[in-house]
Amino acid sequence: MSAYYLSALWPGAGHLHVRQSKTGIAFAVSWLIHIVILALACTRGMLFGIQSGDPLHLLPSVLLWSALALLWVGALISLGRRMAKRGHSTRTYWSHAFSKFGRDKKGIVGISLVGVALILALYSPFLSPYDPTAMDLDNLLEGPTWTHPFGTDDYGQDILSRIVYGARIALGIGACATLINMLWGGFLGVIAGFYRGVVDSAVMRFLEVINSIPYLVLVIFVVGTFGSSPQMLVITLGLFGLYPARIIRSKVLSVREGEYVTAARALGAKNSYIIFRHIIPNSMAPLLVVTTMQIGINIIMIAGLSFLGFGVRPPTPSWGAMLQAAQQYTVSHPTLAIFPGLAIMLTVLGFNLLGDSLRDALDPSLSM
Amino acid sequence: MVTYLIRRLAQMLVALFLVSVLVFIIIKLAPGDPARIMAGVTATPETIENIRHEFGLDQPYPIQYYRLMKKMLTGELRSLTYRAPISSLVSERIQASLELAVAAILLVVLTSIPFGIVAAVRRNTVLDYSVTTASLVGISIPVFWFATILMIVFGVYLRILPISGRGATLHGWAFLTADGLRHMVIPTVSLASVQIALNARLTRSSMLEVLNADYLRTARAKGLKERIVILRHAFRNALIPVLTNVGIQIGGFLGGAILTETVTAWPGVGRLMFEAISRRDEPLVIVLTLLAATASIMSYVIVDIVYAFIDPRIAYD
Repeated sequence: MSAYYLSALWPGAGHLHVRQSKTGIAFAVSWLIHIVILALACTRGMLFGIQSGDPLHLLPSVLLWSALALLWVGALISLGRRMAKRGHSTRTYWSHAFSKFGRDKKGIVGISLVGVALILALYSPFLSPYDPTAMDLDNLLEGPTWTHPFGTDDYGQDILSRIVYGARIALGIGACATLINMLWGGFLGVIAGFYRGVVDSAVMRFLEVINSIPYLVLVIFVVGTFGSSPQMLVITLGLFGLYPARIIRSKVLSVREGEYVTAARALGAKNSYIIFRHIIPNSMAPLLVVTTMQIGINIIMIAGLSFLGFGVRPPTPSWGAMLQAAQQYTVSHPTLAIFPGLAIMLTVLGFNLLGDSLRDALDPSLSM
Repeated sequence: MVTYLIRRLAQMLVALFLVSVLVFIIIKLAPGDPARIMAGVTATPETIENIRHEFGLDQPYPIQYYRLMKKMLTGELRSLTYRAPISSLVSERIQASLELAVAAILLVVLTSIPFGIVAAVRRNTVLDYSVTTASLVGISIPVFWFATILMIVFGVYLRILPISGRGATLHGWAFLTADGLRHMVIPTVSLASVQIALNARLTRSSMLEVLNADYLRTARAKGLKERIVILRHAFRNALIPVLTNVGIQIGGFLGGAILTETVTAWPGVGRLMFEAISRRDEPLVIVLTLLAATASIMSYVIVDIVYAFIDPRIAYD
């Protein structure tokens, strides 16, 4: 029982007590991070915007409390499951993959990097030292100092704060675009692989036409023609990032030949039932891997488009636009370009490591 | 072989036609009336109507499309902002893009393939881990940032390379002069960086697939030197996916090294594309997009043909 009391005091402590050290550390560290953020928010008077009076602080506060509650309850539930299972473990495909993933250093580094970016994006008001658009006109184009750890830009805006808020643009637009990639690409892949014949060749021709224009050229062309806005970025990257479709199609082609599909058909199952009950669940693994990698690609694309001036425009803080602003100071203030670029690189690296490790765990056949 | 070539070329033309239709549709779906934009804010309705008639914008879409393609193929299409025929604009720029693309591809092939082979042969050693880690980092670096970092390190601090531009040229080629060569270094390296990383990974995984094959054991049992076993027997069989990637990339580089050329002020087709879109120069944008598509489709076809030469198992009939 003492494990439960420990877990109630500090989520993860119970796991450590029963020697589930990896899960324990994961819970304990996440709890610690959230407690620190909570303390920061309280001391800065931003929690629920009570003292700061800023409605924009409300949502991160709600998120923060929900995350704390989820972690606390989640740690207890997970501990209960572990205790019940001790001695006789059942190994399913997903639990096997999960434990394989937990043993991979690459995956741990990846998920940590992604976690940091996610925390920066979710709790940016609590974490950023300044307002990202506030101008400190006495300190223009400063190098790193104690008051501005990453320096300031040509408007005297704090670069660290802009990087923290920039995570929102990168992950927000990146995730939305990837969601559309997944749904639209997954839809094309599933119908092409499942129905084959005319549908398949139509989808494949369509993909060929889209593929024959280099991706960046296509995206810049569309965004440049229709005008750039965050919504336009999401739609364009979402509709034309069709790399997932091919992967899903080839997976579906092999899944649909499975004996359980034949059996379901023999029992008189409808196509829609087979697709949702058998084809999609069994094609999940590659979809998950491709999705993770696709977020990284989308983040680079968003940064590249903003860099060229077709994406998110200043004063909205975005990493790509910060690099563009740094361009004219390459010779006089070269440090300006370093931190935003590092932020892009580390976030994308996180997703790539995560995807790589997920692939090793879920589907080694997807080599590349 | 000849019938295959003809069929492949026909498919290429169909694909190009479809791409041009797609590009035309996107342009026509765009908000804003081009005649109104060309006429300016103070134009009267009559002026706008005249412009619309003059440029054939009052015609049905299929006829507009036909006229556009006809003008483009005869080289009559003119840029709106440069006030010059597009054909001459493009031919000026394509040389710069071509030499950059070739240099970058050479760099990719010469670095990534040896790294990939070594990583696969010395699997699970420190060397392998360094190559795989470096390549994961490599695909995560945005090219435009990498170019900036190279400019800062080699141009601003060490002062050994010029920061931007193309430098002196001889017969229009920069690589023929020492100054031009020095200008080429940063754009080439940054353009190649992501592909070096990708291609090293691809070579490694492709080599790993063949390294356990029976014919390698046979070759070793015959007493062949390890170097010959790896290079002639293993690598030749692992080459196909690597070659596909490199081939596709040549097309990609030619069509749009947009980011690299813009950051380093390299006067190529990619930079022209950036300028055309920024200035909403519709005809120029259409031509450049189609040019990029042509380069990329052609590289697919060439890769397919090269397969037949390196892999006798692939036959075309």
